[in-house]
Amino acid sequence: MMKFGNLLIAGITTGAIYAMFAVCVSVWYRVSNILNLAVGDFAMVGALGVDNLYRVKGLPLPVAIICTLLVVAAFAYVYDQVVLRIAQDGPQRMDGIVVTFFFTFALSFFIDGVAKMLFGTDVHAAPALWNGASLTLGSLHFERAGLLVLACAVIIGGAFWVYIRFTLGGKALEASGENSVGARIVGIDTRRYRRLIFVGTAVIAAIFGIVESPLTGFTYLSGATISLTGFLAAAYGGFRKPGRALLAGLFIGVLEAMLGGYVSAEYGDTVLYAILAAMVLAWPRQLGFESAVSG
Amino acid sequence: MTATGSTPAESAPAESTPKAGVALAVRNLSVSYGNVVAVHDATFTVAEGDACAIIGPNGNGKSSILMGVTGMIRRRGAVEIFGAQARNGDVRWAARHGLTLVPERRQLYPDLSTADNILLGCYTWTRSIGKARRSGPFARAIELFPELNLHLKQLAGTLSGGQQQMVAIARGLAADPKILAVDEPCLGLAEAVAKRVYAALAKIHQQGTTLIVVEEAPRRALTLCNRRVEVRNGVAGDSVAGAA
Amino acid sequence: MNGLVASSRRSAQRSALVASRVPRGLTPTALVAVVGVLFVLIWGQQYTGSVFVLAACYAIVTAGMAVQIGFSQQIAFSQSVFMGVGAYGVAMLNTHYNMPVLLATPIVLVGSALVAILLGSVVTRASGLALAVATLMLPLIAVGYVSGTGFLGGAVGAPLPGTLWPSSSASTSVALVGGGLIVIVLLALAVFISARILTSDIGLELFVLGVDERTAAALGVRTPRRKLELFVLGCVFAALGGALYAGTQQFVPETLVDPTAELALLIMLFIGGRRSVIGAVIGALVIQYLQGASNWVSVNILVVEGLLLTVVLLVDPEGLAGIVTTGVSRLRARLGSAPSEGLGGARLSEPSSPRRKRQTPDEVDSAEPVDLADPALLEIRSVFKEYGGLSVLEDVSLTLPERGLFALCGPNGAGKSTLLNVIGGSVPPSQGQVILSGADITRRPPHERFYQGISRTFQSVHLIKGRTVLDNVAVACLASHKSSIATRIARSRLDDAREQASRALADLGMAHLAGREVSSLTLETQRMVELARALAPNPRLLLLDEPASGLSEDQRQRLAGVLAAVATRTCVLLVEHDLALVAQVSERIFVLAAGRLVFDGGPEDFRSSPVVNTLLVGS
Repeated sequence: MMKFGNLLIAGITTGAIYAMFAVCVSVWYRVSNILNLAVGDFAMVGALGVDNLYRVKGLPLPVAIICTLLVVAAFAYVYDQVVLRIAQDGPQRMDGIVVTFFFTFALSFFIDGVAKMLFGTDVHAAPALWNGASLTLGSLHFERAGLLVLACAVIIGGAFWVYIRFTLGGKALEASGENSVGARIVGIDTRRYRRLIFVGTAVIAAIFGIVESPLTGFTYLSGATISLTGFLAAAYGGFRKPGRALLAGLFIGVLEAMLGGYVSAEYGDTVLYAILAAMVLAWPRQLGFESAVSG
Repeated sequence: MTATGSTPAESAPAESTPKAGVALAVRNLSVSYGNVVAVHDATFTVAEGDACAIIGPNGNGKSSILMGVTGMIRRRGAVEIFGAQARNGDVRWAARHGLTLVPERRQLYPDLSTADNILLGCYTWTRSIGKARRSGPFARAIELFPELNLHLKQLAGTLSGGQQQMVAIARGLAADPKILAVDEPCLGLAEAVAKRVYAALAKIHQQGTTLIVVEEAPRRALTLCNRRVEVRNGVAGDSVAGAA
Repeated sequence: MNGLVASSRRSAQRSALVASRVPRGLTPTALVAVVGVLFVLIWGQQYTGSVFVLAACYAIVTAGMAVQIGFSQQIAFSQSVFMGVGAYGVAMLNTHYNMPVLLATPIVLVGSALVAILLGSVVTRASGLALAVATLMLPLIAVGYVSGTGFLGGAVGAPLPGTLWPSSSASTSVALVGGGLIVIVLLALAVFISARILTSDIGLELFVLGVDERTAAALGVRTPRRKLELFVLGCVFAALGGALYAGTQQFVPETLVDPTAELALLIMLFIGGRRSVIGAVIGALVIQYLQGASNWVSVNILVVEGLLLTVVLLVDPEGLAGIVTTGVSRLRARLGSAPSEGLGGARLSEPSSPRRKRQTPDEVDSAEPVDLADPALLEIRSVFKEYGGLSVLEDVSLTLPERGLFALCGPNGAGKSTLLNVIGGSVPPSQGQVILSGADITRRPPHERFYQGISRTFQSVHLIKGRTVLDNVAVACLASHKSSIATRIARSRLDDAREQASRALADLGMAHLAGREVSSLTLETQRMVELARALAPNPRLLLLDEPASGLSEDQRQRLAGVLAAVATRTCVLLVEHDLALVAQVSERIFVLAAGRLVFDGGPEDFRSSPVVNTLLVGS
């Protein structure tokens, strides 16, 4: 029983991360019709950046964190202004799968490569923000970093939810995702919201990378796996529905933990992927796989 | 401002008071989509308090005129709203100066509630949700279509075509416009519903808002409007009948 | 809008280049063969030659991906896995059974084809994004298996003693050059096969499949079969590339199957140009040369690839091939030569005689013969349709005769489109029957109903961008549905389809549009093209979903005239909101409200019916 409990906790923790990334992918897709396949890479940069500034360059931790987040935000802003603006709003308006997938796909490669240049190929992690041994409740173990992750997820997710539901700006954001013509009619600057979400997604991903990395450690390639899972969870949530993406992320996290714990540590992931594939094939419409990608 | 909702254009031209200002002045407007020129040359004026119908066959540029004038699409030519030069392609500028568009095919937000759809009309003049909810324009917008009261919490995407058109007009009204431009209000609607929509437009006009209505079938529009602008092949000009 | 028109014009010209007087598919093949052979002969023994050969192995894979992913939009992430199947298969046969590589390769290909057929039958049930996600799991599962079991060396990799060149007594240089030549020959073959398929009549089937699966099915394309064929093609090409990789590199690394390998293949395809077989080859070359270019580039290959892909896509979403084609066409424009119209040899026939021969459907139903006393063409019997508790159609019954014009009206959400979908076959009814000429077709899929003579349009336009009006109409005139893709390497009956299409266009007075690319047309004209496409196969029953939507008054009158003429030969059922048009042309009108048929009668009764008046007109 305690094994199940501990697995569940671990699963919910990783699931919370997947869920947050899935929500980021989903919200941004609604507003821009682009799938952000680079979320995980922003997370990786957050973790490795803080580690580098703190451990190697010796900056105090808060400064390292703020610097990293600023760099991530600036980079995301520039990328949106230069690349995405041309891709989406330029004279040659591009449609379809190229824009939906491949720009952020290329971005993911680029970020990984730069990370390799800057940080090398070893495994690193940002320092734990909340030091100490894991907390115990009965025979259940809670990693402090894991609790921090959950806390961040709840805070950030909650803040976003309040924003969407209870402010006019939040409703305007929803509106831009649902009907961009209708949004412009009432003076909503859809481009600005897109930029806001893209930069916000990058920064949120970086924060999670920083908070989560003490649990697992990151290399310059780790971002790809996280992007993949974020993408998968968003897909299983139906892409346009952040609420369902959140649940899908939690589900995948818990399933992954359970399979790793009960079936096999080595093949747990393989079985996970097989199950996910089977689900898509069995219930495509119920899982929300209307063709979100066209062209 | 003497134009009433029921004066047909064929009778003696309705007179506007000598001091009525020009709400909208359009000169040599031209709108293109890439290589395709939708509007070559549109020149007309709409006086304050008028109800002006823009009529003409489909595909001749009527909607494009409105899109260009309201700033949804970039245009060439001069547009003046209450005497101020409109900034090209700037919807918010137009809205802040009193011109709001109710677009063709409604363009609502399907996964937001009816009330939220209407509330977002207030975005043109405020960012505060509290102010918007308590405001006069929002209240007036809700009152305009009492039949929507039961559906305020319902998602707009689940409403019927007629109800959606009402929501779209209410959203336009919530922006507190001095000029309300409505593009094809009765597209795809049953006759009974179209009558209801026009009754609401008449009421809006009576309350002092200048109206511009784009319609393919002139019969309905001309029961409401005292002016008309005819569009043919992308060229529009003030018509003879009822010219102010 | 500008870019769309320009790029579609380039695509049409490209297809013109391929489809002109040269036998189809020969140009790119010759190009690849000549350049490749020269390269291997001259530089085969040096480093640059070996990179070229390696790239050629990858190019075989990407050529298949161009057909599968680029042209037909069947996004499956299965190629790296099958490259591994090919490579590991050859490695195993060569290492453990001492089989020469050249003999092992066809054996492995057959094995891969079988695995692909099995896997494909399961996987291609999904479409679009579901297909992509399901196949995305494949590389992940594969790499987990390989590294987990230590299969064939696991993470260390599998070496091969043998090489591609069969003679073991040959010197190293002969083996290198010989092996390289074998690879080039097979690459040229792969390019040839791809080009032949794409320029055949089945090529049009694949393009429309890529535009929209539902539309393709309604035009007679056997979508499940084509999707499977495409999947198998992509996998077999990948296996061949992998086998040749093993034979020439004499080593199979584990990284050949991991997800980054799949991503690298996609990068090669998209940099080169996804809708171009030559582009796919170029993409493979570019990436392989980059990886070996300099030490700095090789170490930072991710940055370089990411940057290169971004820049190339920004300049032209069709990749390097797209950039080259634009450059060529701009040069031609500068030099004053007018671009060819891209009719590909089709001859526009004289205006056809008023009586058209009815095209016999490919598949004559073998059920009960038509009862001559009962002239009903279509009978809907007590059809119900529910979507999760919501009743969309309730006990709808109607009959339609062999000829005439009939309208289906009703308020929004009454179920009109659903009823059309039930007749067309894309939606099965929850209860009830659909009977065509006495035969029960309720469970028949849409493509079979097309063969039975049911043709339809949809509310939104689904034309193949980058192709001409003629080709878009020809999609409905194809006779290739029952043939396998492989047969199109040999022959194609595209010209027959184009002739029939041009007659259909002439009948509608649209012959002058035949050579225009569809993206350059206005929406109304595009709808007329779709109408021409629906009429071209001389259907027995024509279903039109709001054909007058967005049309001006003049265009509506012309449409009414066309429909009246068509209705003398065929049964036409149109869903329409324009009540004036409906009353003007229909001989009988059906009104649906909340899923029930509330009116069935002639125009006079329609105008005076109280039910209709309250519902639609308002008393």
